[in-house]
Amino acid sequence: KKFPESSKVASGQRLGSENLIDETSDVEDLLKEEEDYKEENNYSTETSGALKWKEDLSRKAAEAFLRQQQATPNLRKLIYGTVTEDNEEEDGDTREELGGLFRVSQPSRECKHKLDSLDCSRFHVEAPHDWDLEEVMNSIRDCFVTGKWEDDK
Amino acid sequence: MATQSHSLSYAGCNFLRQRLVLSTLSGRPVKIRRIRARDDNPGLRDFEASFIRLLDKITNGSRIEINQTGTTLYYQPGLLYGGSVEHDCSVLRSIGYYLESLLCLAPFMKHPLRIVLRGVTNDQVDPSVDVLKATALPLLKQFGIDGESFELKVVRRGMPPGGGGEVFFSCPVRKVLKPVQLTDPGKIKRIRGIAYSVRVSPQMANRIVDSARSILNKFIPDIYIYTDHMKGVSSGKSPGFGLSLVAETTTGAFLSAELASSPQGQGAAVLPEDLGQNCAKLLLEEIYRGGCVDSTNQSLGLLLMTLGQQDVSKVLLGPLSPYTIEFLRHLKSFFQIMFKIETKPCGEELKGGDKVLLTCVGIGFSNLSKTLK
Repeated sequence: KKFPESSKVASGQRLGSENLIDETSDVEDLLKEEEDYKEENNYSTETSGALKWKEDLSRKAAEAFLRQQQATPNLRKLIYGTVTEDNEEEDGDTREELGGLFRVSQPSRECKHKLDSLDCSRFHVEAPHDWDLEEVMNSIRDCFVTGKWEDDK
Repeated sequence: MATQSHSLSYAGCNFLRQRLVLSTLSGRPVKIRRIRARDDNPGLRDFEASFIRLLDKITNGSRIEINQTGTTLYYQPGLLYGGSVEHDCSVLRSIGYYLESLLCLAPFMKHPLRIVLRGVTNDQVDPSVDVLKATALPLLKQFGIDGESFELKVVRRGMPPGGGGEVFFSCPVRKVLKPVQLTDPGKIKRIRGIAYSVRVSPQMANRIVDSARSILNKFIPDIYIYTDHMKGVSSGKSPGFGLSLVAETTTGAFLSAELASSPQGQGAAVLPEDLGQNCAKLLLEEIYRGGCVDSTNQSLGLLLMTLGQQDVSKVLLGPLSPYTIEFLRHLKSFFQIMFKIETKPCGEELKGGDKVLLTCVGIGFSNLSKTLK
């Protein structure tokens, strides 16, 4: 093999998605919280305490789930939730009067940019990678037939 | 066909093509207002007018109304007719601008479309004819649009600002489309490309090839970049050069990248070596994005999935481009189709960035105007 296992793992983690990092940190938080509760439990000898601990756990889990849901970009909501309808009334103007006669027409730059920008299907690369770096080159190594294959193929 | 009351209303000239294309396919009229209303030069531009004229040529009975300043457009689609057509495209945009929409419409004509387009074949803005030939045609084949008459040919090459290129495109018609399951991108087995030069030294193309290979050879040995130097009347009216690269995978997915030199007298001069290297890096970016359909053709793939038979279609894509996101919204308003969208994180695999899996059930669109023989 060309690359030592350790460097592979390191680069994988470095390039790993933020979601993944978020997830793992969430899990870690949960584990920590669990440990805290266990310790509390040891101090309290009441039986209702155990029940309470369980209730709290489900709530914590629900919260963690919600947090995770918010962290991962919900593409469906992004695409279908915020459909930009053209609002006739606003017209992108800020109604600022000059001398009680003229109105300063200031279309919001963002709105104008989107409505009348270039109609082009090309997807431009906004933050290009530095393809001279070994790590970056390794990130797509297995996309090629020369890379590592799955076991079933 | 839908009545006038069902017309959809939009503002601004962005996404004009997809609105008109979807309007034609769904039969719903569209009204587009405030086209560059606040611009110093308001209204439709030449290239958009040329696009509307092209739509008028390939359809029968379309009603197009444009107001005096050109800021409002009403389009009531007719039937897709097809047949043999010739069209002079505006040199402000390349033929790719027109061809992208024709690729969406051509399979649904009454008569197979055979069209000659004249204008700019390669520019810095739109996908070039070479790239569309190498990526969009194999994609259409996945949906069952195939045959001997399925062809896209660069007869003459034309660079901006003069143009003078000529392209021939012919496409068979199909009654129904096959549903697809494009979930495995496979592995890249070869890279092909075309380095073209017109009205400059043929050596330019060789210099591009050498520099592009120097980067791509680190990944895969199977690289062949053709040099295409057209002469005389085939070389158009303006000098220029460029490179288009296509990576083919084991499962028949095609990922592309391209760059062209600046138009004569505009922008900074580009060295062929830099152009080759930058284009190779763009291809690597595209491979990093990944998916079964390259980023320019995402919307074409999604459209054909929507129009397929009433069956589940799946496609794995790289990150969705802004154009595709808007296209998905338009698909919802024209066809009431919503895709199921799942993100597939890349995890520990060395296969580039996160992917998106899109699933939908086709609306069972069938080409009723196709004549039975």
